[in-house]
Amino acid sequence: MVDDRTSTIKLPNLHSPPKPVIVYGTFIVLLFLPLIISTPLATEILIWTIFGLGFNLLLGYTGVLSFGHAAYFGLGAYAAGLAFRYLDASVPVGIIMGILAAMLLACIIGALAIRSKGVYFAMISLAFGQMLYFLALSPLKGITGGEDGLTRIPSLDFLSFSLGKPLPLYYFVCIITGIMLFVTWRILQSPFGKLLQAFRENEERAKACGYNTTLVKYCSLVISAFYAGLAGALNTVYLSYVPLSTLFWLTSGTMVMMTILGGKGTFLGPLLGVGVFLFLQNTISLFTPRWELFVGAIFVVIILVFPGGIMGTLTEKFAAFRMRRQGE
Amino acid sequence: MSEIPWNVIAMQLFFGIALGCIFVLLSSGMSIIYGLLDVVNFAHGTFAMLGAYAVFVVVSLSDSFFVGIVSAVVIVGIIGMVIEFLLLKPLYGKDPLLPLLLTFGLSVAIPDFMKIVFGLIGKPISFPDALSGAITLGPLTLPGYRLFIIIFTLVVMISLWLFLKKSDLGMIIRASTRDSQMVQTLGINVSRIWTVGFGMGVGLAALAGAIAAPMMSATPDMGVDMTMTAFVVTVVGGLGSLGGAIVGGLFIGLVVAFTSYVASAYSSVAMYFCMAVILLVRPRGLFGEQGRE
Repeated sequence: MVDDRTSTIKLPNLHSPPKPVIVYGTFIVLLFLPLIISTPLATEILIWTIFGLGFNLLLGYTGVLSFGHAAYFGLGAYAAGLAFRYLDASVPVGIIMGILAAMLLACIIGALAIRSKGVYFAMISLAFGQMLYFLALSPLKGITGGEDGLTRIPSLDFLSFSLGKPLPLYYFVCIITGIMLFVTWRILQSPFGKLLQAFRENEERAKACGYNTTLVKYCSLVISAFYAGLAGALNTVYLSYVPLSTLFWLTSGTMVMMTILGGKGTFLGPLLGVGVFLFLQNTISLFTPRWELFVGAIFVVIILVFPGGIMGTLTEKFAAFRMRRQGE
Repeated sequence: MSEIPWNVIAMQLFFGIALGCIFVLLSSGMSIIYGLLDVVNFAHGTFAMLGAYAVFVVVSLSDSFFVGIVSAVVIVGIIGMVIEFLLLKPLYGKDPLLPLLLTFGLSVAIPDFMKIVFGLIGKPISFPDALSGAITLGPLTLPGYRLFIIIFTLVVMISLWLFLKKSDLGMIIRASTRDSQMVQTLGINVSRIWTVGFGMGVGLAALAGAIAAPMMSATPDMGVDMTMTAFVVTVVGGLGSLGGAIVGGLFIGLVVAFTSYVASAYSSVAMYFCMAVILLVRPRGLFGEQGRE
């Protein structure tokens, strides 16, 4: 086959991990987000950011493209929803159920598919995601509510704060987002995180160095499912309802678009991508219900012109600017 | 199974093969594109959807279903070649995931565009008169259109095989699939061969959409399911293998037909389940080459 098609994309600032001030600074900015935009939108941004942090760990830092992350997000949402509705579970218990269910699924799908090479894994993960969607749609209708989604989830309290109200809910999600930002940062600093990036750069060499690439990719997938399950469960808390669309392939596709838009393999990429995407989606749908046309077209342009996404392109331009300054 | 009379089984077999034929056309296009360009075409089903709409437009203008099928292939093939030339070419030599992501973007944007042009509601396409009847074969009554699909697919696949084996262009395409740099060295413009190959693959998808259209009517969202089916067939048959596309397509067609008879709720799930089993037993697919999975 064509041998010269190896990765030649310029990668954004690999060797300098985000400084601690960026992590804490972002968290402080997030605390004031409801002052700028509506609280529900801000909550939605945070939930998708958690999802995106995990997805970016897999796509951006490990180099594995999954098109089936809706499965983990949706399963997390359903597991939490079922726990709230039938077991009368408390908020932390429901969220933990969602996370565990998503991770278990990732363990199974990963065992079947993670050995496959790039594009092949993308196809297989997508197909498994659709399998779950169709399972929830018709054969498991009795449990999942089929097309109507999972309804009648009781209103939830956490430490005597009612999570039915927008602001307490926002700060609840915001604290979890802060924790996950910190955790992601620590993962990237750890030897494991360095290993992930080594695989993305050159899997063959990492293998030759004696690392078990399959096992590390597998772990990366399961960790990423942790984030997706958490985000799914939080989405259930946020909506008090689980729409069937959480399992639909477009949920996976949206995540892919958000991550690429923000800049895969950059620390703040997912947050930025989610923010810009949801803002675009909300703005365009004011004018036309056909927002997918515009979002899809924008995505195509980004792939062609700015494959590094917003953060990647900014980092690159900034680096070029500094080089020129030094040259003068 | 013993309660099911044999003629019901024979009917399901027939329906399964007819459905499988559509999958064969769809996935062989996908295989050609992957074999030649190393591109997984996420918008494959979207092109099939365009084929179905092309048939709808041409049939309403010319009143001939066969003119419709031919022009669907030509129109969509040309659209595909333009897209390959303008959008995909700049991505060769970069990250191998980028073409997949680009075609994914197309599969999000194009159906919405079709919704603006043709509306949300599907466009029905009537069966051509000559094929709308049924043919009695002993105790079996076979719907004529499905019989047509089987014969038509047979003719298309044999011509495709002859084209690839016997013609000069077919030989160049096979050679480029094997080693495009060597072909380039021999003084052949491989870049142009890629464009032609993409057009051909997409044309086959359009053909699948076109002949499926009278049975399911053309809707903007039909593409996603077809892409999904093409993926499953490709995983089952083996990525980039034409033989795999044929066997995998027929196999999945039969699986869908029989599960919709035995347990209709599971008909959409069954093919994914088959895929999981194949992955477990033979990760490279039935006909996949070693090392390409």
